[in-house]
Amino acid sequence: MLKVTGLESGYGTMQVLWGVDVEVEKGTITTILGPNGAGKTTLLKSIMGIVSPWKGKVEFNGEDVTYLPPHRKVEKGMTLVLEGRHLFPYMSVEENLRLGAYTKRAEEKIEESLELVYQLFPVLEERAKQKVGTMSGGEQQMVAIARAIMASPEIVLMDEPSQGLAPKIVAEVFDTILKLKEEGLTILLVEQNVYASLEISDYGYVLHEGMVALKGTVDEIIESEEVRKAYVGV
Amino acid sequence: MGFWEQLASNLVFGILLGSVYGLATMGLSLIFGVLRIVNVGHGAFLMIGAYAAFWLFTLFGLSPIASIFMALAVGLALGFITFYSVIKRLIGAPELSTLLATFGIGLFIEELAKLVWGPDYRGYSWDTPYISLGISAISFSKIYALLASIVIAFLLFMWFKKTKLGMAVRAVVEDKEGAMVCGIDVTRIYALSFALGIALTVASGVLITLFVPVGINPYMGGEYTLKAFVIAVLGGLTSPWGAFYAGFIFGLLENGSYTLLGLIPDVEPFSLTRFIAFTTLLIILLIKPTGLLGGEEM
Repeated sequence: MLKVTGLESGYGTMQVLWGVDVEVEKGTITTILGPNGAGKTTLLKSIMGIVSPWKGKVEFNGEDVTYLPPHRKVEKGMTLVLEGRHLFPYMSVEENLRLGAYTKRAEEKIEESLELVYQLFPVLEERAKQKVGTMSGGEQQMVAIARAIMASPEIVLMDEPSQGLAPKIVAEVFDTILKLKEEGLTILLVEQNVYASLEISDYGYVLHEGMVALKGTVDEIIESEEVRKAYVGV
Repeated sequence: MGFWEQLASNLVFGILLGSVYGLATMGLSLIFGVLRIVNVGHGAFLMIGAYAAFWLFTLFGLSPIASIFMALAVGLALGFITFYSVIKRLIGAPELSTLLATFGIGLFIEELAKLVWGPDYRGYSWDTPYISLGISAISFSKIYALLASIVIAFLLFMWFKKTKLGMAVRAVVEDKEGAMVCGIDVTRIYALSFALGIALTVASGVLITLFVPVGINPYMGGEYTLKAFVIAVLGGLTSPWGAFYAGFIFGLLENGSYTLLGLIPDVEPFSLTRFIAFTTLLIILLIKPTGLLGGEEM
């Protein structure tokens, strides 16, 4: 569904990605692990077009979308839950959600999507009129994921959705991601929370200094010597 | 006329003129709020509006109130042209580049206007009845200007709150990357906001002609650029609504102070316009550098 080949990217003159290959199969959860500064966020932003790729190719459903601007990619069925959520703080939950369905593709299904979102997160329906800036971190993360679903995407990229949340809320977030998979969505996840993310994933990649150091099924990743040493600590 | 009568009549005048100041500054604040670009060429666009009012009245007998619609259309077109020819390349550029570029656009428009229309002052007189407030007589034309400003500001407010495009503009202001992942074309929103800002500025130029006794000329804009900066700071810089209210406050301050300065012997208060504007700016920056009515919300 999503195929990234030889992707190079960065900021100004600072190169961050040095030829990354990633492939995501339809209906799966794929997790990208890696230490801080490995280029995980840059990879997601480059795939989405928020950071312009320098070299390489991004294909979505067999179509070359490398240099499309972000709004065109959303129209094609890709979206990104940004690190730090990036909501519209002075707008209500409902306004945030409706803006999530800004594209033509999403607007056609807006009422259906709202129903799905309120079913996944009943609390958001109760708080529909509340300004997002006044909500807790966990609730804001729910709005961020919900807003992405409103775009009626085929693939959702997620950048550290569990960051800064209480353990109980973290579990809820991972539960939600599994539910999204059951709804037929494809997920590309970037996480610091190695245990929890591998538990729900089908495939994994380890990114190191802007290159893929390791890739495979979740079992292969967990059993690999490097990951054990670096992350699992056993 | 006694001191109090004069003060009262100047304050009424200040409210009427303040509404036009507010409208003019809404354009500046909208552009700064959305694009983070300070339009130093602001006054030149206002001058275009003043000439539009003059020519439409002189050639076709069109009243300035009717000319507002033409001015809005001209302003939108001018705004889109300026955006796609110059401003688009400056998104995210260092401040000095955007200041120089908008300053250059302003000079270009002023010099072009001088070339085409000449440097002389021109004026027209739109005869409307006067209404007597007991202390002084106010021309209906100025009351129309007040009403027109309020209607335009209100319509813009509703557009921002209720329409999909208006919501998208607010979304870009509140979080640019957040807007991108919703599928909003940020460049298009920039273009639209810039064009709207210029349209408001040109429309305010039409209304300004109802207040300038000496008439209009190609260099009239500078004074209004300066005032708009002061009013924008007063209103909190990024909020068009703050700017609109602040326009009234500035109108009252400016015209009220004329009366007070007139008490000083050998002082011609109207020559102190710039002094008043700068003193106001200085005082605001000393008291509350974020603007008196400032908030992040648009």
